[in-house]
Amino acid sequence: MSIRSLLEQMDDFFDLSRKKQRKKREKLDKLIVSLEEKKAKLKRKIRRETHKDKNSKKAYNLCKEFKAISRMIKKAKKRADLISKVDCC
Amino acid sequence: MLKQIISPLIFLIFAWFVVSSDDAKTIISGIAIFLIGMHYMENGFKLFSGGTLESFLEKFTNTTPKAIGVGFLSTAVVQSSSLISVIIISFLSAELIGLTQAVGVIFGSNIGTTTTAWLVSSFGLKIKIAQYAMPMLIFGVIFQFSKHNSYKGLGSVLIGLGFIFLGIAYMKEGFDTLKEGINLAEYAMSGYPGVLVYLLLGAIATIIIQSSSATMAIIITALASGQIDYINALSLAIGANVGTTVTAILGSLASNRNGKRLAVAHFIFNIITGLVAVLLIYQLRDLVEFLAPYLSIAQNDYAMKLALFHTIFNVLGVLLVTPFIRPLVNYLQTLFCVKEKGRGQVKYLTEEVMQIPASALEALRKETIHLYDKSLEALVHAMNLHRSEIFSEREIPELVELSNETIHVDINKVYQEEIKNIYSEILRYSSQTQAYMDEEDNNKVYELKLTARNIVEMVKDIRELQKNLNYFIKIKNNYMINEYNKLRREIVTILRRIQQIRDADFDSAEIMTELEVLKEKAADNERKLNQGIDKLIRDNKIDPKMAASLINDVGFMHSICKKLLKVAAVLWVKDKEIAELGDEYEY
Repeated sequence: MSIRSLLEQMDDFFDLSRKKQRKKREKLDKLIVSLEEKKAKLKRKIRRETHKDKNSKKAYNLCKEFKAISRMIKKAKKRADLISKVDCC
Repeated sequence: MLKQIISPLIFLIFAWFVVSSDDAKTIISGIAIFLIGMHYMENGFKLFSGGTLESFLEKFTNTTPKAIGVGFLSTAVVQSSSLISVIIISFLSAELIGLTQAVGVIFGSNIGTTTTAWLVSSFGLKIKIAQYAMPMLIFGVIFQFSKHNSYKGLGSVLIGLGFIFLGIAYMKEGFDTLKEGINLAEYAMSGYPGVLVYLLLGAIATIIIQSSSATMAIIITALASGQIDYINALSLAIGANVGTTVTAILGSLASNRNGKRLAVAHFIFNIITGLVAVLLIYQLRDLVEFLAPYLSIAQNDYAMKLALFHTIFNVLGVLLVTPFIRPLVNYLQTLFCVKEKGRGQVKYLTEEVMQIPASALEALRKETIHLYDKSLEALVHAMNLHRSEIFSEREIPELVELSNETIHVDINKVYQEEIKNIYSEILRYSSQTQAYMDEEDNNKVYELKLTARNIVEMVKDIRELQKNLNYFIKIKNNYMINEYNKLRREIVTILRRIQQIRDADFDSAEIMTELEVLKEKAADNERKLNQGIDKLIRDNKIDPKMAASLINDVGFMHSICKKLLKVAAVLWVKDKEIAELGDEYEY
């Protein structure tokens, strides 16, 4: 075994990226849960608001918030999946 | 001419002295190895702490006693008062702590530095520490090969400790063999003349070596091998304390005004402490004799007694000077009050912390915020508005409609005089500090550089918008003025919201959600604005040339809004994972 490969193996050993990735994944999971809760609440609010007045400013704002949160959830899930895949490898 | 001859001559005499005397060679090698160790240890802690040391120093310094305690603890752990000084200067410059707290930390640091004497006199002399030095050096070198800064730092700390131990062992060995040839103790001087002569020697030695810890190590090893008299060793220790102020002052010459003020505080403290210690040297010696049995220090263990003396007179200094910390700080604030530099000067980029990744990153982030604030002024004035109005409670549509007076501001001039210099300094500092960072920190610096570029580009975008806005105000085309008001409303809405985010204590997820919602609305509004312009063209309310200008400016407006939101995500969403849920950087 050459010194170079020994050092590379040592670097892998020293590399805490797996632990870091796991922490990241946990953080993302928590975030997804809280965003999902927010999304569910928003959905109820939007239903109530559109029932009153479909074209109101409040309904418009709620819809935009809903869309932004949905996009964030999608991204968070994608990132969490990516981390899991890297972790598996 | 004489100067040119003297320096090489002194150097040659020194070289002859080192080569010809085996004992001197061993002792001086020991000092050199000890100094290399200190250097490695300091650099190691810069990388190793990864921001922990900085956050510890920042969070626990809100009161003077706490600041003194933190100064003591941190210096005792890292064994380098100069590293603590550098971090404190950077905090002062970044306005993270006040001058009173900083002075408190420096006082505490003076007590912390006395732990070196305890380490040398206990472990250094009683255990064969050279045996421990070798494994430390081996593992230190192994850790150095890691890609990560924390492990590299740990490697440097181990190498540093190894060299320090080795240096002490060499010094001890040198003094032990020297004793067989000449006995320096024969030159011992009694009474106050002796105190003053040895005090001067201690100060000169520290000025030459530039490290009071190294001088203390020499004094202790020489004392332990009986080469110097105990009372003379006490005087040398006081001299080392006085000499270190010269090192601090020399170091502060290239520093900013905060560094200079702290060096003056350090100087005043050490001179007062030194004076008191000289005047009370015999009483303090008796106090050491009284306390020694309680600390299980043997009657003939003069090295430990010296360490105790060193701690006692520094604690005494802190007790004496601390009640006067307020007047001292008031006095310091009157010093180095140079005239306010030009408006385009950097505020936070201190050269001293360039090698400390966590501090350098914080300095860069703060400077980018400074650049944002400067650009914000240009942005707001270009839209014929004032900052105070934007951040007021007034309704945005009303505010925009009433602000129809042209503010004559030359954005090109503002850019050249106030913004460009800060931007170029950010780029220079980033490039230099990146050399000391690992991949992860490098990415953060890269992101900040791109953020700074975004800020500068916003100013360039608003310059284009300003020309047309003022032109249509001048020719009083109401349709166009109305459309431009819509553009201004868009930008003001985002600016106001970002300011509210900055002022409030939101968590990263809340800020990110808010920014994403704003982004969603901005994209929608851009679509609506373009649809509105189409209608104006169809209804012949504006001609095609006006429409072309307007469509271009909608593009500039949208570009500014997008950049503002990206900038806010980088600067105010502290959690990196959450910030990454925003827009990917499209550069």
